[in-house]
Amino acid sequence: MRLFGGFATAVIAIGVGIVGVSLTSAPAAAQKRGGTLVQITQPEPPTLGSYISTANPVGQVAAKIYDGLLEYDFDLKPLPSLAESWVISDEGKTVTFRLRAGVKFHDGRPFTSADVQFSVMEVLKRVHPRGINTFSEVTAVETPDAQTAVFRLNRPAPYMMAALSGYESPMLPKHVFSQGDIRTHQNANNPIGTGPFKFGEWRRGEFVRLDRNADYWKPGLPYLDRIVVRFIGDTGTRAAALERGEAHVAGFGAVPYNDLRTLERLPNIRIETKGYEMLSPVVELMFNTRKAPFDNVKVRQAISFAIDRKFVIDNIWFGFGKPTNGPISSNFAASGLYTAEVMNYTVADGVERANRLLDEAGFPRRADGTRFDIVHDITPYGEEWRRFGEYTQQALARIGIRSTLRYEDVATWLKRIYTDYDFDVSSNHLFNLADPVLGVHRAFHSRFIRPGTVFVNGVRWSTPQTDDLMDRATIEPDAAKRAALYAEVQKIVVEAAPLAWTHEISFATVLDRRFRDVIVSPLGLFSNFDRAWRE
Amino acid sequence: MKTFWPRFLSNPRVFLGLVWLGLLLIVAITANQLAPIDPFAIVGRPMAAPSPEFWLGTDSLGRDVMAGLIHGTRATILIAVVATLIAVGFGTFVGAVAGYYGGLIDDILMRFTEFFQTIPSFLFAIVLIAVLTPSALNLIIAIATVSWPPIARVVRGEVLTVKSREFVQAAVLAGQGDAAILLKQVLPNTLSPLIVTGSLLIATAILVESALSFLGLGAPNVMSWGFMIGAGRSFLRQAWWLVTIPGVAILLTVLAINLIGEGLNDTLNPRLSDL
Repeated sequence: MRLFGGFATAVIAIGVGIVGVSLTSAPAAAQKRGGTLVQITQPEPPTLGSYISTANPVGQVAAKIYDGLLEYDFDLKPLPSLAESWVISDEGKTVTFRLRAGVKFHDGRPFTSADVQFSVMEVLKRVHPRGINTFSEVTAVETPDAQTAVFRLNRPAPYMMAALSGYESPMLPKHVFSQGDIRTHQNANNPIGTGPFKFGEWRRGEFVRLDRNADYWKPGLPYLDRIVVRFIGDTGTRAAALERGEAHVAGFGAVPYNDLRTLERLPNIRIETKGYEMLSPVVELMFNTRKAPFDNVKVRQAISFAIDRKFVIDNIWFGFGKPTNGPISSNFAASGLYTAEVMNYTVADGVERANRLLDEAGFPRRADGTRFDIVHDITPYGEEWRRFGEYTQQALARIGIRSTLRYEDVATWLKRIYTDYDFDVSSNHLFNLADPVLGVHRAFHSRFIRPGTVFVNGVRWSTPQTDDLMDRATIEPDAAKRAALYAEVQKIVVEAAPLAWTHEISFATVLDRRFRDVIVSPLGLFSNFDRAWRE
Repeated sequence: MKTFWPRFLSNPRVFLGLVWLGLLLIVAITANQLAPIDPFAIVGRPMAAPSPEFWLGTDSLGRDVMAGLIHGTRATILIAVVATLIAVGFGTFVGAVAGYYGGLIDDILMRFTEFFQTIPSFLFAIVLIAVLTPSALNLIIAIATVSWPPIARVVRGEVLTVKSREFVQAAVLAGQGDAAILLKQVLPNTLSPLIVTGSLLIATAILVESALSFLGLGAPNVMSWGFMIGAGRSFLRQAWWLVTIPGVAILLTVLAINLIGEGLNDTLNPRLSDL
């Protein structure tokens, strides 16, 4: 499945059917109307303005309210949504979207190309944290008629086509959001979109209620009457609510991994690991590559060899993970961007190799058996990260590196790693997102060595060669050539090991078995649940 | 005071408390001999139930719970005792000066004390740890900072009653300086309530340290009982021993300290116990 296959030949897809876009193609069960789905989201979102905040809980709520131009299947291939069809021409520098007719916002006003123009040029390109990057090549959105939106690009941007979902790039009503300052807009928390659910009520600290949009443009959908998004602060209470069937859906880290294994055994619960394919978190150890001894590639490789990836996945993530050596998630195998042909750190004799590398690097063991001392800044995100730090401490001890763990609050930690660069080793995880341009380049492209910007190149490693490969891959419209460029990038960075990539996290969603067709897209909880139904 | 020890030790509850504390003290001192491994070392299969190999089982990463408990004894007691000593020292100083000099100094010092007293102590400790970053030293600082105000108030009250007594006035007439009067005449006579409050403070300090560690704000490189509970609480349903064993240790220790504290109170304030 090639995501950008036939790019230059223009027509990529034409949405014919409106309903019947069955992604999971489950046997046609008799879907029923009605019912209330209770979703647990943790923590409570700070806002419902998904056009300005990419915080995880925001998307879990707002994606039910706002549609995007496109949807995606599990191979990350675009499907029609608000855009019925699209044509890419002019060697990738013009993208013409044919918009669906008769779509109405929740306030009854029609959705037109002017709304697309406004959403992309005035909002997403300006204030969306990732949109700034996604739409950086878009110079204009032209609106020849109400159902046509023409994106004019400076250079081809194949990754843009992967970022047009209702979660990533919500389409906003111009007549509402063009009034006043978009950054502090009053309708952020009273959202009006075209999605299957309308905003009902937000009782702070308790829940957000979303009501069925009877005028939704997909006839007969959604099936559910209501979605209630509950906010439950205590981990144990969340698990208990799911166990008792008072809540029906919870994902990401809302239920700890070890509890997932307990819930899994209950007859009324199903655990689903699909629905995170457009996020693809990869866990990494970050090295301060401009500081001794981490300026030495052998030291970095040694540490990567010393981590027993299987132990980490089995005992810290309770099996919800997959060992890896490189930065790009295997979820990109379908689009050809992932390669396993890189240096392999997941070997049985990792500890011996690591010891050898450290000897070669000029760090012999001292009288007490240690080689050197470091400080490891743990990711302050919760228990498993802490255990990962404690495990790493033991793993490094085996190769003679004595590490002290430091645990700070998120703000202090972020400043230390991404502003002051005052660290030896830290652990973290970056989302690959919908395309390596969006989620992977930031970790080791020289353009992303930006003091003060978080979750970018904090290791301050780059080479002109890898920069060039990534720059070429960014605008390469041919899928095969693009895959070849990324294969080379992966080969080089995995060997240079500016970060030690250890494993992909498989997030899991807890589902009540009475609810069907809930996770039907790679965006999982960030999708709109229009086809979810209750038995 | 001559009859103190016989009276004190003849109390069976005190005796039990002392036995438990004595045991802990021995364990704390000989921790490295009893369990000569790093308590953070991964030594076995994760979450193994108690067995002849690992008497108290292993935790989620395969660390020996027995070793953790032994090394945790040392860390927990050390942090609690040092924090209490600092709190008692500082609290006594503030209380004694305030009570002895009275007037404006008393007002200033007591408003200062109340400032600390009005902030809920555990929340205050959380804030302090969040600001200072978690480490053994900062735990001691945080616990001491939230623990001294009651000491200051107790000492001030005692000093106020003692300083008007004849022997103090005699010392003033004899020309002794303020410091000498405070140290030699006044403070020795405030000792009994101070000892009782101070000993109970150790129990509180253990609880605060455990609670902070439970919340993940404990020292990341120090194995303490609170750390063990915090690390094991998510696994209560899969591995009961991870939380239960250090929990029982904390329970027994706090109980022992309270028994001793009450025993001290009974012995030092005999009139109360005779009622």
